[in-house]
Amino acid sequence: MRRLLGIPVLLALALCACVTINVYFPAAEAREAAREFVEKVIGEEGDAPAPEAPPPGDGGMAVHRLRFDPFVLLGIGSAQAQDTPDITIRTPAIQAIQARMESRFNSVLRPHFDSGALGFVDDGTIVVRDASKLAIKDRVAVNAAVADDNRDRNAVYREIAVANGHPEWEPQIRQVFARQWIASARPGWWYRQGGAWKQK
Amino acid sequence: MPARILTLLLLALCAWPAQARTATARIGSLEVAGAELDGVVVRLSWPAGAAHGELSIQAARIAAPALGPEYRQVRWRCPLSHDGAGAWHCAGPLQGRGGARMHLAVDLSSVCTGARLSQGNARLQLRREAVAPDVTRLDLVRVPLLWAQALLQRAWTQASVGDGVADGTIVVHTPPRQPLHVEGRLDVDGLALDTTDAAVAVAGLDGAIGFDWLQPDTGPARIVASGEVRDGEVLVGNTYVAIAGRPAGFALEARQQADGGWRLPRLALRDGDALQVEGDASFAADASLRALSLQARSARLAALPERYLSGWLGLAGLSGLELDGAADATLQVSGGMLQALDARLHDVSMRDPRDRLRIEGLAGELRHRARGAAQGRLSWREGALYGLAFGAIELPLASRDGVLRLRAPASLPMLGGELRLLDFALDPGGAEGLRLGFGLELDGLDVGQLSAALGWPAFRGSLDGRIPQARYASQRLDFDGGLSMRVFDGRVDVSALSMERPFGVAPTLSADLSLHGLDLEGLTGAFDFGSITGRLHGRIDGLRLVDWTATAFDAWLHTEPAPGVRQRISQRAVQDISSVGDASFVGSLQGRLVALFDDFGYRRIGIGCRLANEVCRMSGLHSAGAGFTIVEGSGVPRLQVVGFNRNVDWPTLVERLAAAAAGDVAPVVD
Repeated sequence: MRRLLGIPVLLALALCACVTINVYFPAAEAREAAREFVEKVIGEEGDAPAPEAPPPGDGGMAVHRLRFDPFVLLGIGSAQAQDTPDITIRTPAIQAIQARMESRFNSVLRPHFDSGALGFVDDGTIVVRDASKLAIKDRVAVNAAVADDNRDRNAVYREIAVANGHPEWEPQIRQVFARQWIASARPGWWYRQGGAWKQK
Repeated sequence: MPARILTLLLLALCAWPAQARTATARIGSLEVAGAELDGVVVRLSWPAGAAHGELSIQAARIAAPALGPEYRQVRWRCPLSHDGAGAWHCAGPLQGRGGARMHLAVDLSSVCTGARLSQGNARLQLRREAVAPDVTRLDLVRVPLLWAQALLQRAWTQASVGDGVADGTIVVHTPPRQPLHVEGRLDVDGLALDTTDAAVAVAGLDGAIGFDWLQPDTGPARIVASGEVRDGEVLVGNTYVAIAGRPAGFALEARQQADGGWRLPRLALRDGDALQVEGDASFAADASLRALSLQARSARLAALPERYLSGWLGLAGLSGLELDGAADATLQVSGGMLQALDARLHDVSMRDPRDRLRIEGLAGELRHRARGAAQGRLSWREGALYGLAFGAIELPLASRDGVLRLRAPASLPMLGGELRLLDFALDPGGAEGLRLGFGLELDGLDVGQLSAALGWPAFRGSLDGRIPQARYASQRLDFDGGLSMRVFDGRVDVSALSMERPFGVAPTLSADLSLHGLDLEGLTGAFDFGSITGRLHGRIDGLRLVDWTATAFDAWLHTEPAPGVRQRISQRAVQDISSVGDASFVGSLQGRLVALFDDFGYRRIGIGCRLANEVCRMSGLHSAGAGFTIVEGSGVPRLQVVGFNRNVDWPTLVERLAAAAAGDVAPVVD
């Protein structure tokens, strides 16, 4: 019986050994990259820095976990993060999308953020918040622009993750961007966080 | 407000003893014909001997639940006269708090009751003959539809009317102990309507409607209506219809259900040759669709994208899609899902405005069943995908339990060869959207035509391969198996092929390539890159094209001696390699002497490039001092090309490659 009791402990040790992850999500760099991207699209006026404090729950963006690694005892150290954490968003594809988003923002979307017809969502996309603020003819064009913009947004989040060699970072990159869109929103614009609409 | 309140006032008036000189009556509360009046003060003064008296009626509150909101501080003053034959006439201003000033004229006689409510050029006239007291006729002239707001909200709580006026006639039958019956015909001009959730919006709608509405006191209502729309815009969900001066007719019959929902046993739209729809539907009390069954026919599909589909196409990123041909379809929807679809296509063509996809001569029957099975067959005459033309295909299809499959392999002529679709399964209603799986075989596709279509250098060869399973889901297309390209007397194998967003934003393609024994003479000839003889081997791993431009790969290309193959490199190729690789010549040969020889023997060539973040990390056969050897010469004169710049800016490199291929390279000789 006593011997059996030891098994879970060994199992736990073994599990710890397996899940030691030493790949960092470069949260600070991602925030900076997102800030640069978002400000370029929205325009530089009124610098609004991204919120520094990560929200509770996900323990920040780093997936680095400090764990006891039993192999250390055997003299086998785990490999450290193989590449320096850095977020690159300067690939031609991403820059092309950024330029397109910037021109769409200025030509179509901005006035509707001003009027409150559009809002940012905490998954990094935008939605038509209040269609009654749009003339019926505009509604079709704005719906299409919102759909186009969200396609671009989703492609950007995906591309940044993949271009940096970590497709699995996509959800974290999306989150960083979602926070930045809201942080960079101008006073009076709307955003939805946790299901509730708020106005900056 | 108009009709019933007016009746009330008339009732009050009739009840009044006309002989009095000045009389005032205060009525705390009065309930007549479904309306409730509070704080009613009726005052009549008639100076002795005067031809007319003055009538003033005030009500602190008038509530007619059947007609909508309450009216407060309503006041009507008018000079009252009578002609001695028993006819009374009174006309004067009518005003309620917050409301616009109106004018109300009332005529009472033993023959008929008449009233006229007007405001500006809007006029609502009521008339009831004494011989037919159950029939009230309303004539409308430029009556603002806003007046009907309360009535509309009773049937459709979310809707609110904006602009618009109506002309026409409404006849109200109120036979005792029988259902209220309203029939009429109205011409509507510039109707604007919006719902609170913005799901439905109408602007500038011009049209005419004839209707017949039966409303029992207790029991479900029945409405039959038909008419036409001539101009304006209608937005329902994502369907946007711009009528734009091309009239369309409609007809519907609706019966209210016991649970508050509606059943529409008939629903029809007649829009010339663009669209003809007949069907029936039923809606729950909250206006959500319960079931729908439609037969639709379009003799001119070309009209549909602009007239009916623009909203949907915009959402799908397909604005500007062109359709042509004709189609008819029947469909059944219930429980929020498409249950059955039978579509027949007649010589349909579709063209994506951005030239991603074009299909011509699409014909046949497409059948889909959410439950059960059905068979269909589609074919097309020709088309093109990203500029790659393909020929005719016959697709025998079967639908079973919501999944559309290919019944037998189908072959598609393409690029001088054949592409065989082995199987195919399309599930349009998967949890993550559309899911598609298919198997492919490529047989003898002409690489020359492929190169020409994609704007590559003029490669020659053939492309073969087998992809036993490809899957599309969540914007990602993965291919099992691989392709093999026979080019330049050698072979390029493509494996680990996948695409993201194949038809979306910045489509990406990833693959691993391995090169086996490519004839360098042909290859350099195709690139117009000097001339090298020999056999090229190597690999390009992790190749990633975004928007069809290379953004990452890890390549290592090198020559391997082959029996009977001379290994020579031309003077121009040396210069081109040097210019591209920032290399210089070292070794036994003085740089200046290069120009004296037409070509050189070499032992081996090796060049590597690891592209990431727009920088190509170069490598060679081996290190040579601070640089790396790209070409190792043999014989006399012995040539050695050494690269020194290990990190090369990729766009610059591509530019130089293009320049080298175009022959615009000045020799860089140290």
